[in-house]
Amino acid sequence: MSRLEAKKPSICRSEPLTGERTRASLAALRGLVTSCYGPAGRLKQLHNGRGGSVVTTSQSAALLAGLPVSHPVLKVLTAAVRNHVACFSDGGLFTAILCCNLVENVQRLGLTPTTVIKLNKHLLSLCTSYLKSEVCACRIPVDFSSTQILLSLVRSILTSKPACMLIAKEVDHISTLILRAFLLTIPENAQEHIILGKSIIVPLKGQRVIDSAVLPGILIEVSEVQLMKILPIKKSDSFKVALFGVSLSGDLSDTGEGTLLVSYEVSLENAALDQLFNLGKQLVSDRVDLVLCQKVIHPSLKQFLRTHHVIAVDRIGVSLMEPLSKVTGAWPIGSLGSISPNSYGSIKDLCIAKFGCKHFFHLIPNKTTICSLLLCNRNDTAWDELKLTCQTALHALQLTIKDPYVLLGGGCTETHLVAYIRHKTRNEPESVLQDEGCSQTELQLITDAFCTALESLAGSLEHDGGEILTDSKYGHFWSVQADLPSAVNWPDLLSRCGCGLYSSQEELSWSFLRSARHPFPPQTCLSREATGSASTLTLDCFTAKLSGLQVAVETASLILDLSCVIEDTN
Amino acid sequence: MAAAGCVTVALHVAEVLETIVSGCLGPEGRQVLCTKPTGEVLLSRDGGRLLKALHLEHPVARVMVACVSSHLRKTGDGAKTFIIFLCHLLRGLREITGKEKDFFPFENIQTCGRHWKNCCQWKFISQALLTFQTQILDYVMDHYLSRHFLSIFSSGTKERTLCRGSLEMLLGAYFCGRVGRNNHNLISQLMCDYVFKCTACESSFEEVLELVDDCFVELKVGVTGLPVSDSRIVAGLVLQRDFSVYCPADGDIRIVIVTETIQPLFSVSGSEVILNSEAQFQTSQFWITERTKAIVKHLQNQNVKLLLSTVKQPDLVIYFAGLNGISVVECLSSEELSLIQRVIGLVPFVLPEASSQYELSHTALVKFCKPLILRSKRYVHLGLMSTCSFTPHCIVLCGPVQGLVEQHEDALHGAFKMLRQVFKDLDLNYVTQTSDQSCTSGPRIYKNSRESNELPKIVNSSIQRSYQDTVVKNKGELAKTQTNLKVCSNLIVPSVKLEKNVLCSTPKVAVTDSYQTDETLRCSSPNKGRIMDDHEPFIENNSANSKTENTRKEISYENLQVTKLARKDSILPLRYKSLEMCTSQSYYFSSIPAGCVLPVGGNFEILLHYYLLNYAKKCQQSEQTMVSRIIANALLGVPKILYKSKKGNYSFPQVYVRALQALQTNQPMISNQTGLESVAGKYQLLASVLQCLTNILTVDLVINIKRQPQEVYDQDSEEEL
Repeated sequence: MSRLEAKKPSICRSEPLTGERTRASLAALRGLVTSCYGPAGRLKQLHNGRGGSVVTTSQSAALLAGLPVSHPVLKVLTAAVRNHVACFSDGGLFTAILCCNLVENVQRLGLTPTTVIKLNKHLLSLCTSYLKSEVCACRIPVDFSSTQILLSLVRSILTSKPACMLIAKEVDHISTLILRAFLLTIPENAQEHIILGKSIIVPLKGQRVIDSAVLPGILIEVSEVQLMKILPIKKSDSFKVALFGVSLSGDLSDTGEGTLLVSYEVSLENAALDQLFNLGKQLVSDRVDLVLCQKVIHPSLKQFLRTHHVIAVDRIGVSLMEPLSKVTGAWPIGSLGSISPNSYGSIKDLCIAKFGCKHFFHLIPNKTTICSLLLCNRNDTAWDELKLTCQTALHALQLTIKDPYVLLGGGCTETHLVAYIRHKTRNEPESVLQDEGCSQTELQLITDAFCTALESLAGSLEHDGGEILTDSKYGHFWSVQADLPSAVNWPDLLSRCGCGLYSSQEELSWSFLRSARHPFPPQTCLSREATGSASTLTLDCFTAKLSGLQVAVETASLILDLSCVIEDTN
Repeated sequence: MAAAGCVTVALHVAEVLETIVSGCLGPEGRQVLCTKPTGEVLLSRDGGRLLKALHLEHPVARVMVACVSSHLRKTGDGAKTFIIFLCHLLRGLREITGKEKDFFPFENIQTCGRHWKNCCQWKFISQALLTFQTQILDYVMDHYLSRHFLSIFSSGTKERTLCRGSLEMLLGAYFCGRVGRNNHNLISQLMCDYVFKCTACESSFEEVLELVDDCFVELKVGVTGLPVSDSRIVAGLVLQRDFSVYCPADGDIRIVIVTETIQPLFSVSGSEVILNSEAQFQTSQFWITERTKAIVKHLQNQNVKLLLSTVKQPDLVIYFAGLNGISVVECLSSEELSLIQRVIGLVPFVLPEASSQYELSHTALVKFCKPLILRSKRYVHLGLMSTCSFTPHCIVLCGPVQGLVEQHEDALHGAFKMLRQVFKDLDLNYVTQTSDQSCTSGPRIYKNSRESNELPKIVNSSIQRSYQDTVVKNKGELAKTQTNLKVCSNLIVPSVKLEKNVLCSTPKVAVTDSYQTDETLRCSSPNKGRIMDDHEPFIENNSANSKTENTRKEISYENLQVTKLARKDSILPLRYKSLEMCTSQSYYFSSIPAGCVLPVGGNFEILLHYYLLNYAKKCQQSEQTMVSRIIANALLGVPKILYKSKKGNYSFPQVYVRALQALQTNQPMISNQTGLESVAGKYQLLASVLQCLTNILTVDLVINIKRQPQEVYDQDSEEEL
């Protein structure tokens, strides 16, 4: 230990939330995430003066990853959001906005943290138990016999990420591809435990989005030089594959920790090469058609294999090894000496495909759950965004398989929940008051803060100065353009609600979301006809949103509970 | 810095620390956010962690923090209470001394003399504090406080069985002070379930707690990004790594552990390999391959399905293992290995020298072995079949941020430490002076003592107690005690007079007269309405190493339901005859039995406060009176903070007055709190604080050195902070 410096004392700040600095940074973060939210969200351009590429995005995953946060309170908030996104891919902005709103709203009330946390927890459990219950009217069970709901879910995710720069036709195309890619990963003969396969996203930048495609099997990119060396592939109905995990470069393998004394004129390199040739001979005699190697193959061995009409591809990389092993059924070989015949695999067909300016080996399997999603977009940033979105959508679909429900999107779930909570706490406050030991006023204040947070979350879907209404039957979300004429006929002006489930012709009554309303019981129990009739719905992933709601409230409670901040300045 | 200002300065420091920690104290406490130099954030309500995070520079503050952390190492609890209590003690001391000397003119030489005089005075006070801690505290604990103790062990059986309800209350109270308000119920429930799930039989709690405490890091898995409510317990052991090879297998799964690579090395360290031809090289390579293949094949023949390795195995081994249907987990840490060994008692497999047939004896069976996916990360999940009393289970802790998960991990680990302490007996020993007069009065009362079982009124009707005196037959120990005795007796000379008063106030002392059978006798103080379990010794005049044998006695009270308190008092009584004083000193060795608890909410503090004040009233020596008063008053600091936010009937003055009334009329104290806390922990805390205070008071000068410490690798306690 050459350096031993006395540690600088830490800085201790009490009551961190009341400070002007915290309030300002919290407001800044809220403004940032709110403006990104929804299909009409604004894009953010992240530009680091020190280098790196410019990122244009409206997704929380990319935004928060590139945004350094210095304020400790915000660090907690953004860490919570990023962890949520890492788990569920979707719902990051939802979590961030709700958490900011909750902290700001409750902070204004000036109640003791104990009461706030207790009541927030209670309201949260009210929400989650309602969302999980059968009577919940903002949850739709997924019907796997048709693709309609799943397609709507994927479409909603795609449209909510404007930085992908897709036009309507492209959205249709990509969402179909994503759904197809997902369906290809489901094994045909499913037993109790479904083990989903994998869709590998293959980048193809600079092409039209419409050129994107889904292919079963695996695409391995090869350079043009390599391609020239490869002989025309003979036609066959099955190819025998050997997959090597060990390097075939002819380097001396691990010789242990002792000293090696080599006599003059003895060349270990030659010995190792001889070993490789023996291996090559064995491969040829075993009638292997294709040799794949994770690492490097020695040029001499390659040459040898080529003369015996064996195709050799090296430098595949570790990430493709597992899918390759699955596709071909081959076991990654770790030995240069003897190869067990069980470790060979096979594929149905092998061809060389050209997409855009890139050449690929296409390994077509007999039957497997691996597929390749060839994704195109015009430029790098848009492609990155699209890739992230595709991953989100695929993940959302996986989560939906586990828990076969979807939530209504477009702000309708939030406004509906608000109506439910307001009604519940107004009409049955006794249960809460008894359990938690707080006054009616406190309950009302916290409920208001909680509901306003959810409402303004729904309200942040509107970015163009429009007004937001809610109906008094279903409690859904309706948005209308700005600058209305004074006397309006609502049904003509509004067409469908946020999620697209209800039309304005149903003789509903509307009121502004911001105005004071009388609590009403929203209609529960969604009817089957209603979900069936609507063609395109805006939907959200159930698991991701539910967890996002919980994480947001828990994190807000955590932040509100802070009594001081100790900053280590070392 | 001058010692005269010492108390003032120390008080300033302690007050600053108090404002920080008091915010996190008790069920109403709030969270503190710490940022690490690396930029990570950590949430904490753990006093020790907060004090460390502050990186204090002030010398007095550093002393305090060092004391707190050494206390924490011992008990794992009580850092916040430590600071608060210390602060109140200092306040008390300053008030007293402040009245006497308000001025400190530091101008002339005369004051310099005064300064040293002051130092002497502080030295004197600290001596008194030390005496209090070693003598009076134990006495008060044993004589007065012990009647209020409850136990977490359930009644009815001979063996100590843990009562689930009591454990829940104990843990609930602990986590109230450690984790966020919306999570403490969940976490304490989780821990309670965990303790009961892991324990195979009721009597082995201590063993299980020890193992869990030692290996806690391996027994928990932290997952970020999920709500806290997703935390759960999974059966079996979860290793925080993925399989290198996974071959699904069911039914009979045998495992082996290896600590070296299965593939033989080409050359061993320190040796030379001479290669004369290329063929030689190829042959040796070939041999290595064949040998590896043979070993793996052999493992397969023995039905081994899983290979746990502490080192990274070469590709060749992985390949052959995969071909033979053996799953492999590599790079186990030594802690994980030792945990597995402790649980299933499996010894690592040693590779045989010769490649001929060999017996594979070191294998074990597991119930299952499969990947566990938590937040898209794969872990190895093993269903170990335990051979000890610990049934392996793992805690999966979820939380939105890493900082929160870490907080819960720390709190759980601390709780296991605390529980371990609760399961231990804590020894108390103290000296009382008995005058000859009381000795002579002994035989007269002796006749009553047999009937005294029925005599005393029951103080705390809900508690059943049985005192059990263990038989002590240990000459060696006796001799040892005697040497202690001599040392002690020198120390306590100044306070001898004072202690004399103690026993004078307890009027009736019964002494046995049977010299043939070394019998115990019991002192009872009926005016207090309880039985004192003092054992007056009998020692033959000339023999120093006489055997002492205490008869077993059980005193049972009438109405007893809730808890049983098994007391094991191992008592080695001795009489010390002092020629000058004509009094005899009695050394009492008692203990706070394992599992002793009191309700939370400042119960311990108020009780001790009450008894100390009583003691101070009886005490004639001004010094001890003063010290007892200061400590008694300082004790109230903690309940004051706990009840700060309560109003009306539950405000602190109300609670305090009610408690005192109950004590004066010998009625049970009513507590509106549901939690429990360990008595031994509180006692140790008090002792640590007094030691820390003595430490601070005895320093008269702080020398500030502004140079690099010469020995940087010196094991300094501050290094660890």
